[in-house]
Amino acid sequence: MKKTRKLISILLVLTMLFSLAGCGAQSAADSMEETTDSAAGTTAAADETTSGTAADSGTQEDGAAESGAAEPVELDTSERVDLVFYVVGDAPADEELVENAVNEILLEKVNATIDMQFSTWTDFQQKYSLELTSGNADLIYIANWLNYGQLAQSGAFEELDTLLDTVAPELKAIVGESNLNMCSVGGKVYAIPCTWPEYVCNGVKYREDLRVKYDLPVPDSIENMEAYLLGIQENDPSQGLLTVTTEESQGFFTGFDAAWIFNYKYPWVNPNGLPYGLAANYDTPSEVYDYWYSDDFVEDMKVMKRWADYGFWSKSALSDTNNSESYKNGLCVAEIAGQNPNKQITAINDFKNDGHDDWESVYIAYGETTGVIFPGHATQNGTAIVRGCKNPERAIKVLELLMTDQELNNLIQAGIRGVHYDLDDQGVYVDLNDPSSPKFAYEGFNTWALRNGDYKIPQESDIILNEMFDKYEELGNKTKFPNVNIYNGFSENYEAYAAERTAVSNVIKQYLAPLQAGLVDDVDAAVEEFRQKMKDAGIDVCREGYKEQWIAYCEEYGYK
Amino acid sequence: MEKRMKLLPECNRFLDREIAGRKAGVLVTAIVSFINILLLFPFFGWVNVVNIPRLFAGLGITKEEAGNLFTSYSVLNLLSFVQESGEGRIGLYAMILLVIAAAVIFFNVAYVVRVVLDRKGKKGNLSLYATGRTAMLFEIILTGAAIGYVIFSNSKFGMKGFAASPIVYILFILSVISYLAVKVMEAEERALYREHGMLKEIKKNWVLFIMLLPTFIYFMINNYLPMVGVYYAFTNFNFRDGLWGSPFIGFKNFEFLLKADLFRLTRNTILYNLVFIGIGNILQIVFAIFVSQVTVKWFKKTTQTLMFMPYFVSFVILKVLVYNIFEYQYGLINNFVTSLGGGRIDFYNTPSYWPLLITLFYLWKNIGYGMVVYLATIMGIDTEYYEAAKVDGANIFQQIRYITIPLVKPTFIILLLYALGSIMKGQFELFYQMIGNNGVLYNITDILDTYVYRITMTQPLSLGLGTAAGLYQSLFGFIIVVLVNFIVKRRNPEYALF
Amino acid sequence: MKVRKGTATIVFEIITYFLLAFGAIVCVLPFIIILSGSFTDNTTILTQGYSILPRNFTFAAYKTIFYAPKDILQAYKMTVFYTVVGTTLGLLMITLTGYVISRKEFKYRNQVSFLIYFTSIFGGGMIPWYLMYANVLNMKGSTFAIWFPALMSPFLVILMRTFIVGSVPDAITESAKIDGAGHFTIFAKIVMPVLGPGLATVGLFLALGYWNDWYRSSMFSTSSKTWELQFYLYDLLNATTALKQMSQSSSISTAQLPTESVKLAMAVVATGPVLLFYPFVQKYFVSGITVGAVKG
Repeated sequence: MKKTRKLISILLVLTMLFSLAGCGAQSAADSMEETTDSAAGTTAAADETTSGTAADSGTQEDGAAESGAAEPVELDTSERVDLVFYVVGDAPADEELVENAVNEILLEKVNATIDMQFSTWTDFQQKYSLELTSGNADLIYIANWLNYGQLAQSGAFEELDTLLDTVAPELKAIVGESNLNMCSVGGKVYAIPCTWPEYVCNGVKYREDLRVKYDLPVPDSIENMEAYLLGIQENDPSQGLLTVTTEESQGFFTGFDAAWIFNYKYPWVNPNGLPYGLAANYDTPSEVYDYWYSDDFVEDMKVMKRWADYGFWSKSALSDTNNSESYKNGLCVAEIAGQNPNKQITAINDFKNDGHDDWESVYIAYGETTGVIFPGHATQNGTAIVRGCKNPERAIKVLELLMTDQELNNLIQAGIRGVHYDLDDQGVYVDLNDPSSPKFAYEGFNTWALRNGDYKIPQESDIILNEMFDKYEELGNKTKFPNVNIYNGFSENYEAYAAERTAVSNVIKQYLAPLQAGLVDDVDAAVEEFRQKMKDAGIDVCREGYKEQWIAYCEEYGYK
Repeated sequence: MEKRMKLLPECNRFLDREIAGRKAGVLVTAIVSFINILLLFPFFGWVNVVNIPRLFAGLGITKEEAGNLFTSYSVLNLLSFVQESGEGRIGLYAMILLVIAAAVIFFNVAYVVRVVLDRKGKKGNLSLYATGRTAMLFEIILTGAAIGYVIFSNSKFGMKGFAASPIVYILFILSVISYLAVKVMEAEERALYREHGMLKEIKKNWVLFIMLLPTFIYFMINNYLPMVGVYYAFTNFNFRDGLWGSPFIGFKNFEFLLKADLFRLTRNTILYNLVFIGIGNILQIVFAIFVSQVTVKWFKKTTQTLMFMPYFVSFVILKVLVYNIFEYQYGLINNFVTSLGGGRIDFYNTPSYWPLLITLFYLWKNIGYGMVVYLATIMGIDTEYYEAAKVDGANIFQQIRYITIPLVKPTFIILLLYALGSIMKGQFELFYQMIGNNGVLYNITDILDTYVYRITMTQPLSLGLGTAAGLYQSLFGFIIVVLVNFIVKRRNPEYALF
Repeated sequence: MKVRKGTATIVFEIITYFLLAFGAIVCVLPFIIILSGSFTDNTTILTQGYSILPRNFTFAAYKTIFYAPKDILQAYKMTVFYTVVGTTLGLLMITLTGYVISRKEFKYRNQVSFLIYFTSIFGGGMIPWYLMYANVLNMKGSTFAIWFPALMSPFLVILMRTFIVGSVPDAITESAKIDGAGHFTIFAKIVMPVLGPGLATVGLFLALGYWNDWYRSSMFSTSSKTWELQFYLYDLLNATTALKQMSQSSSISTAQLPTESVKLAMAVVATGPVLLFYPFVQKYFVSGITVGAVKG
């Protein structure tokens, strides 16, 4: 009896507490409504204040833009600013020496210094985004292969439009509107590209001396490449032919390096087409068509199977990653994936330095056959200001100086004249470094983004390179969009289909790679299986999402 | 404490009075506990959203979005406000509140249940009071933190957008009072069993605490403080909002993992690790016994050193060696096989070889290294035991069976428990370097770590996903260790890890 | 005392010697291949593969590595510094902790053990860990960030506790306590001396951890002056892959990259000293320590 009474009293206390707690959850929208209706005045006042503050804070930024053209502002340099400039790669031995020389000039001109910081080559992608996350750097190197587009979209960098107008109009002038436009993401410019145009058109590098020796055709098409390789195999069975692996074929285009050879066949907008087995021709970029589910694809895979059966590459090639020196050491007679004019220069130098004077390397860009050739994209090498930088004005001023001041530009790119380099009579770069342990090699700070076409000190190899570039430029002029890199300005937003995308990436590795490496017995059956797995993985979702964005992009830039 | 007891003798008397077979104090605090639990339910608003139009305008929340929002939140559903409103800035705080709330529920439920069951332990009600004290302490922290949350978010948004409801203050006061009450009862009980509390322990063993101080600082800096990072597992990171401001997305990252064939990855990872742990430890013990029994000194030293060497071969180089051994055309094994007249073996396109090969290379690399622990244990065994056994006529096998193995057992169990904790992690380098990008072998050689690594390579901003995978691995390992440790503790508490 | 060997012992010894010899050979073989590769001409490695004995013997790889010895010697110096500081401090802290959590009179020994063990399962991941050192403590570029994070590990603490429990009977410490010895005295005079194999094991693991580490240099070093040896060598390896990958999309001047034989020589340079040092540690594993005498 007593117990019950106690329990009742406890319950009473509890009920009291609950009533105190009041009503339960109520939708905020209702109350938003209620309050808006009943106290319209306050809402209006609130709106006013918010818009008012927005306008206040906006005046500084938008002011210049609103008033029309650039309104250069004199920069207040009374206070010294120390900036950190983050670049990828390893530091040169004479980092401090050159840094001090640069800072001496910078201090005098804009009362600022820079401290170069290097990612080193170990885990550099990871450390690069870590640096952006921690926000210790002010200036940072950017490139499309460092995911510039995605990072800019995600807000990793400061917007530069206004800064360029107010603080660094000279920089804007030399970079040029069209270049800046290529670096814009969502209508905002986040990076300053270098002003040295270059061609990185992919192609094939092969041994001309062997071709002449055995009287074989020039490998400028798939058939000729096959004949060339077969000819060498016939004459010298012990000679290695191709070292193809999976290394240059990461991502959503191909699974195995040998498939790069089809760039001879298709005039695509980008080497290897578009991701997810889509493709579009350079002349009609917005007309996306299907490659993986086409008959062409089956034909192509049969070629790969044939090549594999001929023994052009090792049966274990999928696991081989050790190909860095094959061409250099004569272990293969051609390289077909991930090549560019600069690699040709490297090969020529390698042959010379290693005493293989009788070896000759020749480069054929795929575009020479298909007629599609275009220069590198502006986002290939650029500099950005990290979000949260405390002195963006000074940072861009420093960047401007580094790019537009010839003395500074040459200093930061080539080191101290007389110590690290010298110029010969023609004004060509002469390396004064000990080649085995360079103190400050050409572009020793890895600041490829600071290249200024007008001030860049020509290297000896630039002569061959420029010859190639001239040839490509001429070809590029004949295309529908003369010398415009259409593809690389695009950055995909895959948030909506990230899971499917991951699954697709796995199917590429599991099914496409062996197919392209010719490791399957029955090509038709394997293609069917691959296609089915792709469907299961959700390729259609990825394709749809991608297509939509890509076509919108083409429309925006007028690539019809 | 004693002072307070003198000050409130009446109070004390009340606490000690017996009601319904229990002390009044216990009963009252249990009721408070019950209220604590009850008021945690989401229908009771702890944090009220006030000033709605202004707040929402400031946060840029549209009317449609506001449809999903409420005017008041409890700590349990506070995160939904963060999620629906897209305000990541208060996400971490809300998450911490949720974690504390979980602790509050656990301890309060435990306390109420124990009071209802009324079982006395070895030391009377001491452990009951400990539960009660912890429960109240967490409630104090929770209510305090909830008030702190309101202040924090108001300052973050620069306006009075939130207010703590009266419940919070009442609960705060109630739990402080109950805390003191339990404390008082506990002090009495302690005097009864000659136990002491934390302060007394510090006073008594202050030297031991000083010895632990550097360790405490180390683990704080290196491990515990960075642990707040698990929060990233629930966010979708972007640079614009930064690490702590990115939108809170709940369990989306985990769903992503689930879609990604989590079952196969989990199975592969566990199977490989079980084999590694099992065979690895057995072989390490066997070889440690061998080495310890060798009497020729130079032989002992040389074999031990040589077996240690694979540990130093970096995986990058191991990969190249392995490729040269198993390659199809010119690999060592295929050369050997063909010279005997056999057909070539296509290792790199035949998945079924690889579990065996990976295990072999794991063992090869780790036997010498892991053996050191067992060798040291065996060397620490009192030689008298063996002498006595020899006198009794035991042969070498019997000595090993009855002396060495039982004495190595504790070390083995500790290492085993330790290894089980990371059963979902593991050996990334070994798999990554040996398999690389060879998708043909993935079905049977893909483990969680390699899979997640590949995702992060194709998605540069997958910070949340990586953290989510790590959290999954940790939770999995933790549950297994707690289970196994529990079993071990049942059978022999000496061997338990904690 | 000479006991006549029974058949069982003889059988056992035959198995032991045979298996140990076999294991040792399997283990050392790849190392010999690496060693011989480092003395082989680079082109020979590429064309003919690896072998047990060096062909076209040359010191070229070592000459390349030691061409500018200043850098590599600096890396050696720093690694030795990190290893000595880290191992000494770490060993001290681990042993102290192991001692405390093995004391029966310490009320919170289980809780402390658990809190330490817990860190081996749960972690916030690399990014908050990095931000802790780089942004909160502002230690990026300092040597502290390189040796501090590896001072202790839950594994080694638990291992040490096991060793202490196994080799120091409670009776001894109890009697010492009755004699009025404090914890520090017991620790230094009684526990430390009998802890030979335990100290050697934990110390060895710590030292190897420091010697083999490259990750912390990679994360925290801002100048090559603070690089660890392994990182110095590892970064060279990575430069090869990275530059290859990069030069695909841009024309950059590729520096001199390490050849196959240089890679192998680097492996030798990095591990050689440890292998020479190891036999000195070994003596702790060769002779057991008798606790029984003290036990009396």
